[in-house]
Amino acid sequence: MRITDFHRPGSLQEARAILKRLGPGGLPVAGGTSLVFTSEKDEKVAVDINRLGLEGIRRVNDEFHIGAATRLVALQKHHEAGWVLDRVAVHLASQQIRNMSTLGGNIARVFPWADFPVALLALGAVMVVMGDAERGIPADEFFSSQPARLFQSGDLLAAVKIPALGAGQGFGYSKQTQTSMGFSLVTAAAMLEVDGSTVKSARVAVGAGVPFPCRVAAVEQAIIGKRGNEQAFKDAAAAGMAGLKFKSGADMSEEFIGHLAQVAVADALTEAWTLAKGGPS
Amino acid sequence: MSALKKITLTINGKKKEFEVAPHEKLVKLLRRAGYKGTKEGCDEGTCGACTVIMDGKAVFSCITFAFLADGRDIQTIEGMGDFDKPHPLQSALVEEGAVQCGYCIPGTILSAEALMKEIPEPTDEDIRTHMDGNFCRCTGYEKIWVALRKVIAEKKSSKP
Repeated sequence: MRITDFHRPGSLQEARAILKRLGPGGLPVAGGTSLVFTSEKDEKVAVDINRLGLEGIRRVNDEFHIGAATRLVALQKHHEAGWVLDRVAVHLASQQIRNMSTLGGNIARVFPWADFPVALLALGAVMVVMGDAERGIPADEFFSSQPARLFQSGDLLAAVKIPALGAGQGFGYSKQTQTSMGFSLVTAAAMLEVDGSTVKSARVAVGAGVPFPCRVAAVEQAIIGKRGNEQAFKDAAAAGMAGLKFKSGADMSEEFIGHLAQVAVADALTEAWTLAKGGPS
Repeated sequence: MSALKKITLTINGKKKEFEVAPHEKLVKLLRRAGYKGTKEGCDEGTCGACTVIMDGKAVFSCITFAFLADGRDIQTIEGMGDFDKPHPLQSALVEEGAVQCGYCIPGTILSAEALMKEIPEPTDEDIRTHMDGNFCRCTGYEKIWVALRKVIAEKKSSKP
């Protein structure tokens, strides 16, 4: 996108009024780092959303509320019981990108390699959109296709709510790249709740190697109510992902990416299981 | 053509006003303002040659819109040291043979400076995480690591 003008509103209300007036020609910009991946033929007027109070991580009861303009570096360096997104953020691009890019920017438009949609699907996050009224959109709906369809002119992604994980819950994450800062080939995330040696609930998601980030219900169904262990997770990933369509890329075949995805999902499940059982963090 | 707008940057401690086009990137502004130590490499936020420090954090100036830097503190390589009075990071990189073609070095130094300002005695893990956005195609990184560890060790030993 080519930026032809910019506005610097000082309040959420002002920003929304400007975006409403600009209509489809307006673009909320916080870090601006993803614009390098868009066509310069597309002209936009930028609305700088860095002064609207949309930054920061707050613990609210058993949730974390994260402002949409929170830099990824803040997610990376936040360490608190129940917080898991540091493990996602630290593997995203490079420090310079993490210092500029925001959580909102990583999800408001879903690029094929984006990591956070996958993690937020597994966590069952809720996206808070400020429109004429504030509304919460569950991850399953938000990420069922490009989120732009859910936004009217003047709507702004304001925050993301995720659970703070407690005893018996674990989050696992596996990102496969060719080089440490390369785009993801496959990103997998899993959240498990355990009851003794049984999987009580599971949310499993994959991205990057598939057409669009998605939950893998067949894997979830294969493990819920069953005894958890590494072999069971490998078997569930192999059987449950057989029906998924994978994308070839980076000189890798669909078959290989599919295999990589199975391994990544099994790894994420095993990690989530180990942590839910109180194992090494 | 888009209209030019005024922004104010504090570059290496000096406040300066600029007129910028909405699409102009920080690296272009810095170089036209004479801060040519800021290198343009990939121009797509990958290689790290254009790294500068903005409000204490290393950023890629090639993909940072100049208007997003309005009102912020920018540190470039010109603010680090010079031939007669090099910064300890500059001296260490030279002494350890970590500078060959030198194109990546301004960005490498600024990433290391941002790291050491935030974490005065970084671990290897901190170095790996904070230096992951600076490519060097000459040295294979080993000598850069040796130089950084040397600066960290000197800091430790000079503590009272």
